[in-house]
Amino acid sequence: MEKQMENGSERVVLKVEKLRIHYATPQGDVIAVSDISFNLYEGETLGLVGESGCGKSTTAYGILQLVQPPGYIVNGSIEVDGTEVLDLSEEELRKFRWTGLSLIPQGAMNSLNPTMRVKDQIIDVIESHEGKKSDKQSMRARILELFQNVGLPNRIYNMYPHELSGGMKQRVCIAMGVALHPTVVIADEATSALDVVVQRIVAQTLVKVKDEIGVSLIVIGHDMGLLAQIVDRIAVMYAGKMVEIAPVENIYAEPLHPYTRLLIDSIPSIKERKPLKITEGITHDPRNPPSGCIFRLRCPFAWEHCAEVEPEPIDAEYKHEVACHLYDERFEERRANAFATFANP
Amino acid sequence: MGAFSLNYLVRRLLVFFLTLWVAATLIFIIPRLAPGDPITAMVARLTQQAGFVENADLIIEGWRERFGLNDPVYVQYLRYLTGLLQGDLGYSLARFPSTVSELVGRALPWTLGLVGVATLIFFSVGNLCGALLAWGKTPRLVKVMIPMSMIFTSIPPLLAGLLIVYVFGFLIPIFPQAYAYDYNFARPELTLEFFANVLYHGFLPAMSIVLVTFGYWALGMRGMMITIEGEDYMILAQAKGLKPFYVLYRYMIRNAILPQMTALAVSIGTLVNGVVLVEVIFSYNGMGTLIFTALREQDFGLIQGTSFILITTSALAVLIIDLSYPLIDPRISLEGR
Repeated sequence: MEKQMENGSERVVLKVEKLRIHYATPQGDVIAVSDISFNLYEGETLGLVGESGCGKSTTAYGILQLVQPPGYIVNGSIEVDGTEVLDLSEEELRKFRWTGLSLIPQGAMNSLNPTMRVKDQIIDVIESHEGKKSDKQSMRARILELFQNVGLPNRIYNMYPHELSGGMKQRVCIAMGVALHPTVVIADEATSALDVVVQRIVAQTLVKVKDEIGVSLIVIGHDMGLLAQIVDRIAVMYAGKMVEIAPVENIYAEPLHPYTRLLIDSIPSIKERKPLKITEGITHDPRNPPSGCIFRLRCPFAWEHCAEVEPEPIDAEYKHEVACHLYDERFEERRANAFATFANP
Repeated sequence: MGAFSLNYLVRRLLVFFLTLWVAATLIFIIPRLAPGDPITAMVARLTQQAGFVENADLIIEGWRERFGLNDPVYVQYLRYLTGLLQGDLGYSLARFPSTVSELVGRALPWTLGLVGVATLIFFSVGNLCGALLAWGKTPRLVKVMIPMSMIFTSIPPLLAGLLIVYVFGFLIPIFPQAYAYDYNFARPELTLEFFANVLYHGFLPAMSIVLVTFGYWALGMRGMMITIEGEDYMILAQAKGLKPFYVLYRYMIRNAILPQMTALAVSIGTLVNGVVLVEVIFSYNGMGTLIFTALREQDFGLIQGTSFILITTSALAVLIIDLSYPLIDPRISLEGR
């Protein structure tokens, strides 16, 4: 496939393994992220999608070591360019932040300090990591270049956040996010607070800047349509589990996991109004997940085996993994039958 | 940015002068609502003391004429206002030849000094303690010690003052119990020695104000800091890998201090109340003691004058805080348009 040739780097820049994050509550731990593993390749844009509360933001904040109490990382490994993030000391982690992993936050409206000029908020991150700069002129030039990359006018250099529009603030956050040329940038619903037009422009800016600087990008969102246009691969999460991760063409053309299928089938188009397909069954209590497969209570294809064994990710195709027993070679026949009935109800 | 708009300045000044005018008017009206008049009362008092005053009616009439009390009320009011504008607060009745302006002029600097220094201390100490209470990186020991030092917060300033005088002026007499300076000095002078003496005398009164006040500011600040900690920009600050101390003062304290400044402006009136009592306990020769004696001697002229001056200084302090607000909060000047 063409896209794979373009973005076919095999070098893994971010390797997440068995990442597990809980939120402590008086009634027991809520399992927000449950043993997630995935790779992010150099120069790749990975979309992370799922319903609200499925753990996609928690995953991102876990990778960034920003899980806020009562959340905590139970186990796992997060390697960025060979550095194990979870083993860093506090000061090492501070230095690693923004140079290794940076964040473009959700809701940029409130993500900038209201009492600091925009430029000072970019200068402070540069100076915390590169030391005090005495050369004001070259610092100014550097920031204006960042502004130009994200399409911000020079005049906002001395402005405060409240003087900018929502789209501009989001661009400031993008400029800030790439200021130190980090290895991986994580954009957490960076566009969801904006209207559709600005959303698209900002998303394109994000991709453009990412390509220019050559970082790897994780985009978290729930707008499958927007994500389809900007990402190389999509990872689908359900209730703290990653159920499928696939190149974006595959996931729309031929989704494998039953949840992904239902999700894609529920995307409304302009020609046809579609009912939401994922309505059957009940959502489980996140403190007591069901045995076996996490999706079996709502899955139209579930059988006894799903309750007994938890599905491991199966390599279906190149860079395409799915965690479903139907793709186990032993159950090939069952899969054919199941999808036949599903296609013609 | 940073500069405030002219509109903002004008509005604040208007509020300031409106406050003064309302205060002056109330001070003018209230004594006139009371039955009788001060001169009759004074002559009656003289009569009691002397047994008999010859031509009491004539004396009363003469003084009424002298003070213009026979004129229509609006003439009196206008004369009173023009007097105020020229800094004329009238006479003290109990110490008659002295004018109120003279007495206030002697007392006000002491109170301003005491309150100013005390405010500076309790505001900075209180906010710092509050910030440290909320900050995640504060040593545990500090977090335990700060609340313990706040036990005075629930005690009225009067009692705290008495306790402090008793402990540090009497039981362990390391500080003077009373007065603003030693009476070895005949009058205030501009020497280092005198200045040191003033600080020495001012320590206990200032401490009693600070001790009862800083806890409120610490608690308020702590609450604000916790709110700020939940802001989105704090997560970004953490993600940016900024130095913890920089985040504390530039991201947290800088934003949490803004409502504290507003609270300070609002609380200045209450603060003055507390200071009056503290001054009386320490026989500190400031406005508090002056008001106290004026009340005791039923010196209406002095009561009116000192009340007006206290209201003026409070309003001035609020004005200064209001005007400095656009300089510390960049969002204010725009909203003021």
